[in-house]
Amino acid sequence: MNIRIQLFSGFLILALAFLVVFYVNQRLYQEVLNNTNYLNNSETVIRNSNVLHKKIIEMQSGFRGFLLTGQESFLTSYSAGISSLPPLITEQRSLLSSPDQKKRLDSISTLHDQWMVYADSLILSKKDTLPEAEIRYKRLIDRKLKMEVGKKLNDMISTVFLYFDDEEYNLRQKRRAVLQQSIQSTKNISIILSVGVILLAFIAFLYFIKMITGRISQMANLADRISKGSFISMKYPKKDEFTKLVNSLNLMSETLDKNFKELKQKNKELDQFAYVVSHDLKAPLRGISNIVDWIEEDHENDITSPVGDMLHLIKGRTLRLENMINGLLEYAKIGRIKKGVEDVDLNTLIAEIKDMVVPTDVPIFIEDTLPVLKAQRIHLEQVFTNLIGNAIKYNKSNDPRIFIRSTDLGEYYQFSVEDNGPGIEERYFEKIFEIFQTLQERDAFESTGVGLAIVKKIIEDNKGTIRVESVIGKGSTFIFTWPKKLQNEKENTADRR
Amino acid sequence: MKKKILLIEDDYLDVESVKRALKKLNLDFEIEVAHNGVDGLSILTESPSGKNKSMPDVIILDINMPKMNGIEFLRIIKSYYSLKSIKIFILTTSAEEYDKLSTESLGVNGYILKPLNFKDEKSKATLALLTELLS
Repeated sequence: MNIRIQLFSGFLILALAFLVVFYVNQRLYQEVLNNTNYLNNSETVIRNSNVLHKKIIEMQSGFRGFLLTGQESFLTSYSAGISSLPPLITEQRSLLSSPDQKKRLDSISTLHDQWMVYADSLILSKKDTLPEAEIRYKRLIDRKLKMEVGKKLNDMISTVFLYFDDEEYNLRQKRRAVLQQSIQSTKNISIILSVGVILLAFIAFLYFIKMITGRISQMANLADRISKGSFISMKYPKKDEFTKLVNSLNLMSETLDKNFKELKQKNKELDQFAYVVSHDLKAPLRGISNIVDWIEEDHENDITSPVGDMLHLIKGRTLRLENMINGLLEYAKIGRIKKGVEDVDLNTLIAEIKDMVVPTDVPIFIEDTLPVLKAQRIHLEQVFTNLIGNAIKYNKSNDPRIFIRSTDLGEYYQFSVEDNGPGIEERYFEKIFEIFQTLQERDAFESTGVGLAIVKKIIEDNKGTIRVESVIGKGSTFIFTWPKKLQNEKENTADRR
Repeated sequence: MKKKILLIEDDYLDVESVKRALKKLNLDFEIEVAHNGVDGLSILTESPSGKNKSMPDVIILDINMPKMNGIEFLRIIKSYYSLKSIKIFILTTSAEEYDKLSTESLGVNGYILKPLNFKDEKSKATLALLTELLS
């Protein structure tokens, strides 16, 4: 599956989880709110019940006061009760949900109505000024008041109130407990859900991190191995955003592999070429010089001098050709043969070269001590051998001298090899470094024009430069630089690993 | 009886070089030349005109030849009992090639390095050995 789709689904699942949590919390909040309302409802019912009871009692005591004193002021509370009680009862009824409580309220209402009938009759009789009214009042007193009809009703009302309030207190107690309970469970459920969602998000996060980093490190491993030269391909069965990258890496690996193999093949071919040049081209050449030798050997006595001169020319040219082929081979070999890099003490090296190529009567003056270089010994040897060799070979002075100097230029050393030879014309300053270019006549077989080309190639392969300064009749100075740090040091460390 | 050498070499120049080098040893011997392995083998195995031809004492053998190269030639003659006693020297371009042949135990007694200028130590030693064998 696409990583994009996976990420999106992960996001959707999390969003859904958050929605669920939100919904559940909303529901729990609603429940708490309802329970609070229930509790408030009970509180109101209790308060209303108290007010109702108080008003009824006030009506009763007003009624009694009036009967005892006949003062109408006592009837204020009574008449207030008549007008205020019915709406109060209606309100209370609307607040009640329990049928038992409703029944109780109804019975209170009924009992109170009965009492009102009784009280009204007495009040009206008392107020009546007609003579028979007094008789009727007395009769009423005797039949009802003394029979405690009103008191009994009042007692019954009080008893019902007592039951009513008791029940409502109970209800309030229960509702309070339910509210407490719902608050607590809301808390618990909220915490559990939140922790759950956070955990889910964390797991999803870990999963994606692991998946993506895992795949990236697979790529990185592949790239790393390719960079270290093992051109393998990677199997990647999944189809996602990385597939293209893997395919590209695999393709790169294959291409590199192919190219490296081709390069190896080419190197082999070059070796083959070198072999062909050295063996197959040299063999007939040697054959020619052998034949010339044999002619000279066999016909020593009958060779005339012009023939002898020509034979000598043939021998010179073949030798020159052989030298050129050898030089060409040597030139082609530079940089292809990776010999070990070592610390090369130039003082020792120059001393060795001096022993090999410098006649004892030619002095070499070396200014100060020469440095020790990290390099392929053969390279430095070829450079100095050629330069010193040239300084002697072409030096026709009676008192040949060679000066070698070195200067520290920071990142580079600068070396110079100076002679007091014939010097070089300025127009040849560039040309002398080209292969097979020599300022000598063609028959000087020892000068093939390869030496300086080899020197230049070695120095440039090592990221140095070379030039010549010269004054005709005074001498030449070859100046070249050589880096202190080996250019391909990194590659070498990588190889050694 | 005159000692006999069989030189198997396809290149006339090399044949000439070997002949001249041997001549300088100032020894009395007979030399026969074959220009490839097949010719060399027929010289060794056939007796022309019924005469019992004497076997050569030494074979100087080139490795790179047309028709039958030196190695094939060696393998074949080593299977002949009558030819086993012949001393064999090979003409080779490198000591490595010789070493490779020696490890195959083909019974080679020495080698001469090409180019045939007889300036290297091994070729000189071989010439000395030949002097001993032919005198």
